[in-house]
Amino acid sequence: MSAAKFTGGVELATGIGLRSPHYGHILSEKPTVDWFEIISENYMVEGGRPLEVLDLILEQYRVVQHGVGLYPGNADGVDRDHLKRLKRLVKRTKTPWISDHLCWGSIDGSMSHDLLPIPFTFEAVRKTAENLRMTQDFLEVPLAVENVSSYGDFNGNEMTEWEFLAEVSELADVGILLDVNNIYVSSINNGFDPLEYVNFVPPERVAQIHIAGHSRYERFIIDTHDHPVIDPVWKLYERAIERCGAVATLLEWDGKIPSFEEVWTEARKSEAWRESALAKKADHAAA
Amino acid sequence: MRPLEQTQREFLSALQMPLRGRSRASTELPPVDEGHSPEFLAKAEELLKHGANLSPAESLELYHRQYWFRLLDSIAEDFPVLRKMAGEESFWSLMEAYLLDCPSASFTLRHLGSRLADFTACWDGVEEVKRRWFSALARLEYAYMEIFESAEWESVPPADLATAELGLQPHVKLLELTVPADLCAEWENFSPEDEAPIYLAVWRDESGRAAQCRIDPVEFVLLARLRQRGMLASLFAQPTDREPAPEEVSEWFSNWQNRRWIAFAPTAETEEFPIIQHRGVRDIDWSRIDKMGSQARLMED
Repeated sequence: MSAAKFTGGVELATGIGLRSPHYGHILSEKPTVDWFEIISENYMVEGGRPLEVLDLILEQYRVVQHGVGLYPGNADGVDRDHLKRLKRLVKRTKTPWISDHLCWGSIDGSMSHDLLPIPFTFEAVRKTAENLRMTQDFLEVPLAVENVSSYGDFNGNEMTEWEFLAEVSELADVGILLDVNNIYVSSINNGFDPLEYVNFVPPERVAQIHIAGHSRYERFIIDTHDHPVIDPVWKLYERAIERCGAVATLLEWDGKIPSFEEVWTEARKSEAWRESALAKKADHAAA
Repeated sequence: MRPLEQTQREFLSALQMPLRGRSRASTELPPVDEGHSPEFLAKAEELLKHGANLSPAESLELYHRQYWFRLLDSIAEDFPVLRKMAGEESFWSLMEAYLLDCPSASFTLRHLGSRLADFTACWDGVEEVKRRWFSALARLEYAYMEIFESAEWESVPPADLATAELGLQPHVKLLELTVPADLCAEWENFSPEDEAPIYLAVWRDESGRAAQCRIDPVEFVLLARLRQRGMLASLFAQPTDREPAPEEVSEWFSNWQNRRWIAFAPTAETEEFPIIQHRGVRDIDWSRIDKMGSQARLMED
């Protein structure tokens, strides 16, 4: 098995999140970017400006959809209407794969609009995998789930987060969007070794990697996506590439968004880390 | 083992409790003296572990803050004129009361204010006059959000008016307001005038920007009929309260045509992929597209 199964056979290199402060620059200057990631929910509309800009971007660039509202960990299942809207957008973007978060976010029709942590229990593994499998079947496009940043652990957890991610992705047969910044954030907040996490992830399922910055406080980290990537996160990225190969890599920058050039320059730093990781991988293989 | 469904119901219920303490102090919400309820603190202990760096209450509080910060930021962005007219204290009291009573039921934050007008009409936090005006204003400002994301169908050329099945462009919103809330955008402070009801149309103009105009009550009725879709004759099949003069009707149709309000009723195919106008890059206002994201909100401490 290879990650190609979870990327629709499409190989992408470095991308950045498509954000409104950059629309004008992208459409007028047409910079060379391998691909853009969009937040699906911002374009799940009937018309107007969101679809207008999306169509213009699609004329020139490859776009991959990334969601924040699927909530596959919901105990009461995923929302069918949401899936229909999502599929409609998939037809428009022709995204090679689609991703969302390994989280829950609503119950009894009440929405949190947050990526809430799932208790790491066997019941949650079964329910989440069932939701993901049904989603992937319905959307008819490979699906990848992303590990989220978390700010606490549930009482009654029956496994670690990395065991939960591996169990769910295996049982649902979906890909993984490995967010190495989220691993770092959670490792500080919840007290674990982030390298142990990266080393446990099934490499053949990793379809994409996210990198981002965050905000450090005295005793915890908040995943604000408003700073450059820090070195410990780059090192986790390097290790992930060493294990998974040249996986599509995307920089998220969502707060205090700087110029397009600054974001793109930050994203392209991943290329040097990727090369060094692949060289290490080749050395290990040769040895 | 606590069932997943119970955990999630209790967790979200805790997040939807009112903000307290330093979290509340870092928002615009009116200050209160009380800290977290014993119920909130007990729920944190029940649900969450003592972590390496954070206690259960601190962990739950981080999610609690994020829930409220996200909702408050979003709704304030969507109702700027209401905020100006109500003043900071009343506005934030209203928002808190509204969000406690009407938590989001949509996948997108863009719909967060969908019930605000109805809620405001019954909210006892302000006197009756303000209730009427603020409710009408909330309805108007929400219409601006609706037109932002509504479909656009192919407009009907004059030659096809008599033969085509007609419809009203989905991005044209018709409002019947009990007070002239459209005046508020020009006011520095809330200064209510005569409370005559008004009829408004709000739509996306050719440049993609929001536009609005007052319309005649009979024009309102005819446009509402156009929304139901049908042939031209069906607009006039039923009588209206007032019989409009032919010149009036002619002028209305001319305006509707110029504004591209009259559209071909879509087929299943065009509804799947509605017409999207591609305008010059510089002419488009891109704000408010990025409502949803995966990032957490910045905190003060």
